[in-house]
Amino acid sequence: MMPTWPTASPPQGVPAPNGYTATYPAPAFTPVQVRQTFGQSYSAPQPSYPPAHTYGPAQPPPHVPTNYQSSAASPPTADEQPRKKVEWPDSVRSYVERSFLPANMDPTVSREEMEAKLKETIMRASDDNLLYSIVWNNMPLPQQMIKTERQERAKAMAYSAQSPYGNAPVPISKKRKSADLEDVANLSITPPWRAGQGARLEDRVTFSKDKRQATEDSADNTSKLNKYEKRQKRFNGGYVSTYRSPSPPPGDGPVVGTCEKLEKNYLRLTAPPKPENVRPPRVLKNTLELLKKKWKKDQNYAYICDQFKSMRQDLTVQRVRDDFTVEVYEIHARIALEKGDLGEYNQCQTQLKALYKLGLKGKANEFKAYRILYFIHTANRTDLNSVLADLTPAEKRDKAIKHALDVRSSLALGNYHRFFQLYNETPNMGAYLMDMFVGRERLAALCNICKAYKPDVPLRFVTEELYFESDLEAAQFISDNGGQDLLHEKDGTIVILTGKAGQTFESHKTKAFARVDIKGQI
Amino acid sequence: MEFGPALYHEFGEAWKTQDGYRLAKTISPDLPPGQLSSIFQSINIAGGWKSARDDDVKAAIKRGLSSSSARSDGIGQKEIKGWVEVYFAYWQATGILAEVQQTSSWTNAYEQWKVLINALIQGYNGHEFEAWTIPCLYVAGKHLRLFAMKADENTSVNDNSAAAFQDDFDPELQKHQKLEDCARVLNRVFSLCLSDRAPLEESRKWGLYYIINLLFKTYFKLNATGLSKNVLRILTAGRGDMPDFHTFPKSQQVTFKYHEGVLCFLEENYAEAEKHLTEAWNTCHKDAMRNKELILTYLIPCHLITTHTLPTEKLLEPYPRLQKLFLPLCQCIKKGELHKFDLALQEAEDEFVKRRIYLTLERGRDIALRNLLRKVFIAGGFEPVAKEGDKPVRRTRVPVAEFAAAISLGSEEKVDNDEVECLLANMIYKGLVKGYISRERSIVVLSKSGAFPGTGV
Repeated sequence: MMPTWPTASPPQGVPAPNGYTATYPAPAFTPVQVRQTFGQSYSAPQPSYPPAHTYGPAQPPPHVPTNYQSSAASPPTADEQPRKKVEWPDSVRSYVERSFLPANMDPTVSREEMEAKLKETIMRASDDNLLYSIVWNNMPLPQQMIKTERQERAKAMAYSAQSPYGNAPVPISKKRKSADLEDVANLSITPPWRAGQGARLEDRVTFSKDKRQATEDSADNTSKLNKYEKRQKRFNGGYVSTYRSPSPPPGDGPVVGTCEKLEKNYLRLTAPPKPENVRPPRVLKNTLELLKKKWKKDQNYAYICDQFKSMRQDLTVQRVRDDFTVEVYEIHARIALEKGDLGEYNQCQTQLKALYKLGLKGKANEFKAYRILYFIHTANRTDLNSVLADLTPAEKRDKAIKHALDVRSSLALGNYHRFFQLYNETPNMGAYLMDMFVGRERLAALCNICKAYKPDVPLRFVTEELYFESDLEAAQFISDNGGQDLLHEKDGTIVILTGKAGQTFESHKTKAFARVDIKGQI
Repeated sequence: MEFGPALYHEFGEAWKTQDGYRLAKTISPDLPPGQLSSIFQSINIAGGWKSARDDDVKAAIKRGLSSSSARSDGIGQKEIKGWVEVYFAYWQATGILAEVQQTSSWTNAYEQWKVLINALIQGYNGHEFEAWTIPCLYVAGKHLRLFAMKADENTSVNDNSAAAFQDDFDPELQKHQKLEDCARVLNRVFSLCLSDRAPLEESRKWGLYYIINLLFKTYFKLNATGLSKNVLRILTAGRGDMPDFHTFPKSQQVTFKYHEGVLCFLEENYAEAEKHLTEAWNTCHKDAMRNKELILTYLIPCHLITTHTLPTEKLLEPYPRLQKLFLPLCQCIKKGELHKFDLALQEAEDEFVKRRIYLTLERGRDIALRNLLRKVFIAGGFEPVAKEGDKPVRRTRVPVAEFAAAISLGSEEKVDNDEVECLLANMIYKGLVKGYISRERSIVVLSKSGAFPGTGV
């Protein structure tokens, strides 16, 4: 499941060369490759295809050297489709010629691969009506593109796939790397501390074909493909019109969105984003306002979270990193906090940290304080130390950060009295985070109290010290943790028989402090 | 060593005596630029080094190695082929390194050196290099790391060209590009050594600890200590098939134990940490002051936690840096000066955080507090003697207010009784004080036999 890049060799979605050369050079009518020949010309794992008619004209470029033509053989058979006539511009012709100049040949790239790549490139240009707008003189030769792709794939293998939006049901099994490292062989490939951080968007795109491919390799291609085709038709109302480019040329820069709709459901990208589905920042700004209103009105977290994820995605694919990006992440982080969605919160937090580091303005201190509280919650000592190391003296004086630091130190010193006072005066939304670990700290404090006080303490004392809402809540908490027998009435007040508590709360405490594991945790 | 009879002779001699360290010297890059450039120019081919073609150079090296006495000592054709690649890479590296001072293109130096270490790895994998030659891997690995760090230093952090195409981005990562790459290469070397199935006498496993130590250093620098833990785990899993740890060179033992100790230390596993650090301390060469200082940096806080003891002045005497680091804090702990302790901790916070000992030292406050409470207890004096001849008994019922007064003494702010009780409860819970608190009467009842365990009262 690891590499998201298809493992097939470069001729993605392109039929074997012997198919189309037969109609050559007359461009008026070219058959689409016959299904049965798929995979027969290649030893490499075969790519699987969307139905053939989703392709544009599979017209080969003209002026391929003659020895190439001579290798052509099989005539077109069934499943033929008419093609639209295409006039090839001279620039394309010379590009093809250039590709096959002996001086430009690369021994590591086979002729088949090159031809396939060439075809793919030109077809895409033709499909997108870019034949005349592309500066073919500057276009990398197919052999260069193939080599680049190979490098990309090697990289993609090294950086294991990781979803930037961790919750999506996608093949990510490598979120946490440590287990893998027990395998020595793996060690040499991935620098796990970078996992998911160095990978480019293209590397992360999952081609949904991959999975099918594995099964199809072993079985009868034709029938499976037909089945797939049928299924595809079912889902698309019998008509398939989308052609997904199997491999975007690497490094083609950020997308510039043209979508004007405000709302968009989040969908994990399985192909390079299309501009018409991506909202430019101008639109996203309106989206944000809309979402803010909707959140206030409906409080529908599932919807809001989904919408924010799609916003983040649109920003990411357009590589927008500015104050607005910060705002989006901050608001999403706050909402996630409010709803206790720590996984989502943590994703935002991680990105925010990087964004602040770029010097973008925002509520950096507020979120740094959250970060400290978060690390307290996850008991992540190493990162806590790093955070401390990164704070400047000015930041340490900031109200929110100082509060978080005090929380940390009060806990380190076991000063529950101070801790619960701080809990009471948490600035911003830090209390949502503190709620996460207040329970376990109460248990720890109870353990302390039971060991230190004899023969008893008033329940009210515990209520106040541990900042319960009421005596009732305190009593409930004690009962829930096995201390129901310790509650007694004495002279009209309820006391806790601390002297008899013994180990009552210890096991609950240990359990509560067992390692916190949150999805998406760094 | 110049590419001439001397080098080939040395190669042969090293081969004859199976002296890996001697062999490793012939590929050392640790030479003055002049010498490096004369090595580069010494390659003996027609037309001289200036117009040298790769194949000619390789052929020349091959001739040289084949002519060496190693030939009669049983070096195979395949091995020679492998060494030709190594020396060829070395020759190219000398050319770059000779000029690196002027061009400061450490990235090139790093890349070329990587070619060399890859040639070595290839040699072990495909060219039947023998295990006694592993010191070559040491030299290669050691300098790979050094070159990587120099390359990273020279790379401008603002060079965001690569980052612009990345989805997730972290400016931090840019800083250590080459070093991360280096960690990957070293990992391959680690696997290379670990996976050797040859009998122990001729196994590459003898290279493990040197490489692991290099990996540790790299990971620590990269702030990826978690990965070091993984190395340890792999090591524990395979320890059965490995030579005994104590048969490795002492220098490697010390470095390894130090890192192992620090790793435990960072996980707050102070008992284990102390064990490893103590072993490192005991094995360390007596004149290796810097290393001893490093060990103490962690062993002292460790000791404070595990045994509640402070370093003596005599121990710290030879280490002015450690004195500066620890003494102010130690004095506060000793005297039980709580407020001054807080100030001292704050004062040196940056230094402590940098060394990752802040969070540990902070816990020394408990000891300072214990000492303060003990003072209160002693100041309380004795109960009136009931009978003639009885041993005087200390006053064991101490009002919380007395402790509160003592705690508030040094600082400006008054600590309220509830907080003092909380602190006392902690002391009791942690076993630093024996006794109990009576909430009702607001007094602390201390144990008659050893209220402050381990302190004589």
